[in-house]
Amino acid sequence: MAETREKLLEVQDLQVTFGNKRHPFTAVDGVSFDIYKGETFGLVGESGSGKTTIGRAIIRVNPVSGGTVKYQGEVISGKVSRETDRRIIKNIQMIFQDPMASLNERAKVDYIVSEGLYALGEHLSEEARQEKVSQALADVGLLPEFASRFPHEFSGGQRQRIGIARALIMEPQFIIADEPISALDVSIRAQVLNLMSRLQKERGLTYLFIAHDLSVVRFISDRIGVIYKGKLMELAGSEQLFAHPLHPYTRALLSAIPMPDPESERKKQLVVYDPTQHGYTEDDPPLWEELEPGHFVRGSRRELEGYRKVLGQ
Amino acid sequence: MPNENAILSFEELEIRFTLRGQVLNAIRGISLDVMQGESLAIVGESGSGKSVFTKSAMGLLDANGAITGGHIWYGGKDLAQFKTEKEWLTIRGKEIAMVMQDPMTSLNPLKTIGDQITEAVLLHQGLKGEAARKAAMDALAAVGIDEPERRYRQYPHEFSGGMRQRVVIAIAVACRPKVLICDEPTTALDVTIQAQILDLIKALQKKLDLTTIYITHDLGVVANVADRIAVMYAGDIVEVGRCEEVFYDPKHPYTWALLSSLPQLGVKGQDLYSIQGTPPNLFYEVHGDAFAPRNPQALNIDFVERPPFFQVSPTHKARTWLLDPRAPKVEPPEHIRQLRQKGGYPHG
Amino acid sequence: MAIFRIKDSKTQALADSLDRQAQRQFTQEELFQFAPYDPGAGERGGYSDYSYWRSTLRAFRKNRVAMFFLCVILATLLFTFLEPLLPYDREPNTIYYVEQAEINLFTRKPVLDEKGNPVMKVSRATDRAPGEEFWFGTNSIGQDLWSQIWSGTRNSLFIGFSVACVDALLGILVGVLWGYVRKLDFLFTELYNIFDNVPQTLIVVIISYVLRPGMGTMIFAMCLTSWLATARFIRNQVVIIRDRDYNLASRCLGTSTGRIITKNLLPYLVSIITMRMALAIPAAINNEVFITYIGLGVPLETPTLGNLVEAGRKVMGEAALRYQLFIPVVILATITISFYIIGNAFADAADPKNHVN
Repeated sequence: MAETREKLLEVQDLQVTFGNKRHPFTAVDGVSFDIYKGETFGLVGESGSGKTTIGRAIIRVNPVSGGTVKYQGEVISGKVSRETDRRIIKNIQMIFQDPMASLNERAKVDYIVSEGLYALGEHLSEEARQEKVSQALADVGLLPEFASRFPHEFSGGQRQRIGIARALIMEPQFIIADEPISALDVSIRAQVLNLMSRLQKERGLTYLFIAHDLSVVRFISDRIGVIYKGKLMELAGSEQLFAHPLHPYTRALLSAIPMPDPESERKKQLVVYDPTQHGYTEDDPPLWEELEPGHFVRGSRRELEGYRKVLGQ
Repeated sequence: MPNENAILSFEELEIRFTLRGQVLNAIRGISLDVMQGESLAIVGESGSGKSVFTKSAMGLLDANGAITGGHIWYGGKDLAQFKTEKEWLTIRGKEIAMVMQDPMTSLNPLKTIGDQITEAVLLHQGLKGEAARKAAMDALAAVGIDEPERRYRQYPHEFSGGMRQRVVIAIAVACRPKVLICDEPTTALDVTIQAQILDLIKALQKKLDLTTIYITHDLGVVANVADRIAVMYAGDIVEVGRCEEVFYDPKHPYTWALLSSLPQLGVKGQDLYSIQGTPPNLFYEVHGDAFAPRNPQALNIDFVERPPFFQVSPTHKARTWLLDPRAPKVEPPEHIRQLRQKGGYPHG
Repeated sequence: MAIFRIKDSKTQALADSLDRQAQRQFTQEELFQFAPYDPGAGERGGYSDYSYWRSTLRAFRKNRVAMFFLCVILATLLFTFLEPLLPYDREPNTIYYVEQAEINLFTRKPVLDEKGNPVMKVSRATDRAPGEEFWFGTNSIGQDLWSQIWSGTRNSLFIGFSVACVDALLGILVGVLWGYVRKLDFLFTELYNIFDNVPQTLIVVIISYVLRPGMGTMIFAMCLTSWLATARFIRNQVVIIRDRDYNLASRCLGTSTGRIITKNLLPYLVSIITMRMALAIPAAINNEVFITYIGLGVPLETPTLGNLVEAGRKVMGEAALRYQLFIPVVILATITISFYIIGNAFADAADPKNHVN
């Protein structure tokens, strides 16, 4: 079971706060989850839910104001030593949402893809560097001659693959994919998703896949965490989650998935989530509990009772 | 000549752009009737010209683009012949209105929501003072914004993305247009909000007797809203049909590809069907079927001659040589056949 | 580089093969057979061989007005250096004397000797209107204005370029650090607030008193304060772009701050920096004119446009002597307008949005 697998990343009680002391804004509040080696962990939530912030806190772009992030058992949040810093840069990489904004327009693909090599401090010869760039481009299905071009010559899907090549050249173990396909055309999404799963198989990569669209996350993830307003609502294996969505917010997300099927669309009933419906009180505060192996839900004691009944059926 | 039931009719429309001295054939001879009261979805990937196509009906082409051939018939007038901004102002907003993808760019961040709606009401309904205020408030309520009194005085940044899009829609319909063009109205929004916005547009269409044109790259989102679907590729319409026809019995390989690459239809652990390559560069002249280089089942003739429209049913036609009686029989991909047989997708 | 060019020709070959396929003759039967499928073919997309700098230059060259003014500026610059070599060589600071009829101060008529001939006297060639001997005339102490003006233009341009260079160097360096390195933001902002509130005139006054007046002092005094504004400007621009995704990506890749600045930030600021520099040159020249006007400029033995305008202003009341003001003002205006138009045109040309046509 899950316990026997190696934990690659542990997020414990993570809190990220923005703004100043007078107007603090807590974007992420007490989020905990583990990511196992070789799996894809999906994080789903609407915009402003804090899902992107979590990804950026892990890769240390956003400072952490509480809790810890551990990578292979070593704390990587807060101040770290130089070696740890190097190691994290090499091992954790990120794929960005908007391929139009995430590539340096003034640099050639050659430079963009090999940018990470400079930081690794390996002194490569020019030939070795070009060789690596060609290989990275080939890995993502691009032609090596693209190296001499500028990013704007490419379509969105090609640009996203350049972004993936840039991350791959570091030979990372863990990749944070922040909505890697939501800015892409549907016709291109499949390309990128297939590429990501192929790379995962070939290199044993671990992904944190952040998205707002449950249908995409279901397709690619092994486990899914549902986040709302900076707090995790539900966490379960992806089939588990689709089979027994317990939290009302998860159910709302599920009901909103657009189906490419006119008949079922016409019968569709939208579930609208109302955050005030829980009626949490001082005596009955929300808890985070595991109701079946690997299936966590946030709810008050009364709600959890109800959820258990649903699962029991 | 335009169909008599059509409210807006494109006839052999051609649009070209000049870019760095080169000519780009953005729209390559499209004929399409938009029927009175229907809701039509134009589906295509970015660069297919779907936005350019509809913008041409509002006189919103960029300065380096021009209609170089064909007609756009609306209310007995040929909009393709319009030259001045004054002529366009008789159509734009009043007859044909538009909802853009990003609500933040369509709203003025420095003015209150109330002012912006009142402006539209003043301009188009000729109301003044308290009456205009009342009408604006009603417009806000009509698009499902709670507490219009309070919301009226707020600025766009105080609204969420979905709320902003509702305001944009309120402004668009304040002028009582006959045609509403929605250019990727939900792409920038969260899934849960998407469904609500589409529902809103549908409700308004019924209430105000609108004709709606949706532009989107995502076939998945239009199943719910479209009566008819037109699939666009590389500046041309390759398949048109009623919603069910396009979803359950698509004929063009590009439509197959679009449908089967949807993650909703994917099976975990297997690769999604994916379209290789990128759309053609429209700076080059397109020979034959523009999709041929990306189509594994392309015929030789696809590279030589542009396919004509083959009529599948009175309402359904596709531009592919596969429908020619001489062509070999090609089955659509597995996923699509399943969709047709089940007549639905298994919900979780 | 060469390797890539050859490889790009491969892409072209791929494109050509598709064209050939289109031109091949097929029999009726062959037409409806499956064509060979090459997944790479769809990948070729379009290649427009775009280069940022080439497009910038092309866009700039298209702007006729700007090209004209660029020629004007280059010609002026060249001429200020060539002018001393011309056969017409009069030293700017020499006071010229001519033999001329003596004028009775009261009657304003030439003084005649016994024979009725005018009495000739060697005196300073003051306030002579432009003519064959003195092309631009002379000033009120008898110096040749032609030489003075070109030497003054040369000096003023030197001041302008020097100040703009220091401005650019210090301003960009400090501005980028200020904008990009968050830890420095607070400190720099506070320092800026303090120094920006000291009037530039005051600093120039103090410097002129402390140091010996001269070109060097003038340049030093102007440099001391002008880069502050540039730094602030660059800082604001950097703050706008520093959190864009491509910069976050660079940070995730561990790229050093120095590399991010040179590869990610500065290339995006080229157009606005050049624009600002183009405007800094005439601004410095005009500033010098103003400082001279308030009496703190460079000494008179160093002609500058400031000195010349100031000298011209003094005799402005007399219609016949107005050429002494007009000529330097025309030169000053030409330089200012030229730089302004060139700067604007270049900034437009360097904006990739304008590379479409």
